Amino acid sequence: MKAIEVQDVSKRFRLYTDRPGSVKQLFTKFGRPKYEDFWAVRNATLDVNEASVAGLIGHNGCGKSTLLRMMAGIHFPTSGSVITRGRISALLELGAGFHPDLTGRENVYLNASILGLSRKQTDVIFDRIVDFSGLAGFIDSPVKHYSSGMYVRLGFSVAVHVDPQILLVDEVIAVGDEDFQRRCLDHLAGLKASGVTIVLVSHNLAVIGDLCDQVTWMDHGVIRDSGEPTEVIANYLREVNADEAERLRIEAEVAGLLPTPAKATESEMVDDSGNTVEFGVTGQPINMRIALPEVLASEEHTYTLMIQTESGVVVGETEMSVPMAQPGPLAHGYTIRCRFDPLLLAPGIYEGRVRVHGGTTVRAEAMRDFGFSFRVRAESSPPGGLLRLPATWLEDNGR
Amino acid sequence: MKSVSELWAYRNLTYNLAQRELRSRYKKSLLGWLWSLLNPAAILAVYTLVFGYFFSAKAPLAGNGRTDVFALYLFAGLWVWNLFNGTVLGAISALQSAGPLLNKVYFPPACPALANTITVLLQAMIEAGILLVIMILLGNVGWMLLLFPLLILCITLFSVGIGLALSVYNVFYRDVNYLVTIGMNVLFYATPIIYPITLVQEKSMTLARILELSPIAQYVQWSRDIFYGLTMPSTTSLIVVPLASFAVFVLGLAIFNRKSRDIAQEL
Repeated sequence: MKAIEVQDVSKRFRLYTDRPGSVKQLFTKFGRPKYEDFWAVRNATLDVNEASVAGLIGHNGCGKSTLLRMMAGIHFPTSGSVITRGRISALLELGAGFHPDLTGRENVYLNASILGLSRKQTDVIFDRIVDFSGLAGFIDSPVKHYSSGMYVRLGFSVAVHVDPQILLVDEVIAVGDEDFQRRCLDHLAGLKASGVTIVLVSHNLAVIGDLCDQVTWMDHGVIRDSGEPTEVIANYLREVNADEAERLRIEAEVAGLLPTPAKATESEMVDDSGNTVEFGVTGQPINMRIALPEVLASEEHTYTLMIQTESGVVVGETEMSVPMAQPGPLAHGYTIRCRFDPLLLAPGIYEGRVRVHGGTTVRAEAMRDFGFSFRVRAESSPPGGLLRLPATWLEDNGR
Repeated sequence: MKSVSELWAYRNLTYNLAQRELRSRYKKSLLGWLWSLLNPAAILAVYTLVFGYFFSAKAPLAGNGRTDVFALYLFAGLWVWNLFNGTVLGAISALQSAGPLLNKVYFPPACPALANTITVLLQAMIEAGILLVIMILLGNVGWMLLLFPLLILCITLFSVGIGLALSVYNVFYRDVNYLVTIGMNVLFYATPIIYPITLVQEKSMTLARILELSPIAQYVQWSRDIFYGLTMPSTTSLIVVPLASFAVFVLGLAIFNRKSRDIAQEL
């Protein structure tokens, strides 16, 4: 059963830019359109199953929030249709609709009714709302005396206790202190377990990856990718990383610095029987063969292989020093091999960077990093974190 | 039809919004609720002074055959006007100020205007109640007062219809607000509220006919009939006014629903 069906939805906003600045302009511009069309969402199609959690990711202004608002019924699609089944509670801004002069108690009732609850239904959940917010001592003071944190806590508390069937969350968990954020996330996980359909807009990819059953990546109003969270997030990150690398390269070029971390000409993974494989497997031995372009090295040089995740977290480094018998340029297209036994990396997509350090006469371009990427899959249940820790276990039965 | 059932589903919100307005209205004021009595009293005093004394307008004799207090004659029309004026202007500003909220949460956009209507209605009840008490003290009451619930229902339906339609156009063209302010002033003086219609009839029958076409004039006439003159409104009026009021309400609501479908982005 689908809780939300978004069918070929587009949304156009009119940006009224051209306000006449003078009376003369008013007449000369008369008859011309005074707005520009802006398509916030274009031809988006998306289904969310009942009792599942869907994530929306993408850069600022990519149309995530607009899509969410159309699901909430706040905006009406310019074309296409949005069908929702069940009562919706939207957390677009916490404490929206609070009146500063009214007490916390009065505002709880008001806010709950904005979210569609009757007075009796609010009576039932009132104590839970106050408990969760931790504001029992202040519930009868006007909310204008609240700190911003208290304000937000009360708002969140109301929004999640109204027993929605569909909960739309727009980045609101980004506010509040650490403790509050954790409680929000715990609560969302609890709602998920109890069968609430949740749509989550967030820039916190860790949260998205943790909570979501499906992720949709939006880019300039268009759905770029949708499906399995880890894959979509990885695709999204790859582009963000590529964009950032490109930006850094341009910046470096403009600044006249050494550009371009060159691509290794070729890299492959080879298993112990000598066959090329698509990916390494956590816990199994693997050989990496990296072909480097022309490198001039000195008498003695060192290779460093650094491994980092797609989001740029450095997992670790390994080094190899080579005493050089014959000084001189290395041959064109030579390869280095690096063996991991066993490979401890958790499943995912990684980036390797090889750097050649020389003694004295290394040519400038040899100072570059040579980058390549590789994949790791799991054969059994994947370990959490980045690494499977090598350890020896012992069960001591006390005798 | 769907929109009506949705409004019904959100009745608790409408009620709470009204409560919010009432509760916050007189907070931090010493006289508090007394202001809702002092306001109309002051206006009534001014009009009585200017029109009853300076212009020496005379009120016709009331139903009991003795009373001819101009202030009471005036008040019988003024509360009707206050209800109409408050509902229409309130609907316009209610929708406008609900903008930020409508951008955050979905609810029927007519709710704030309806909530405002409740508060205005409450005020009108108080005013009409005071009028009634005075009339009882003067011994000027009759069984036609039973028409009062129908009268107040008709005025409310009519005002809400007009208010909703204007409020939604005001979102697209802010000129509406200014036009309405002017229009309300014109309508107030074009309606025989602070002067008896007989005054105009003496000058020109045609003009009087035109003024009687003012929809408000009918409600004012009803109110004067049942509170002051103790006569029944004409049969034609008894049929036409409720039907017309209902029609205006339905039409206003239809316009509002058609135009307000995607109103959040315009606010």
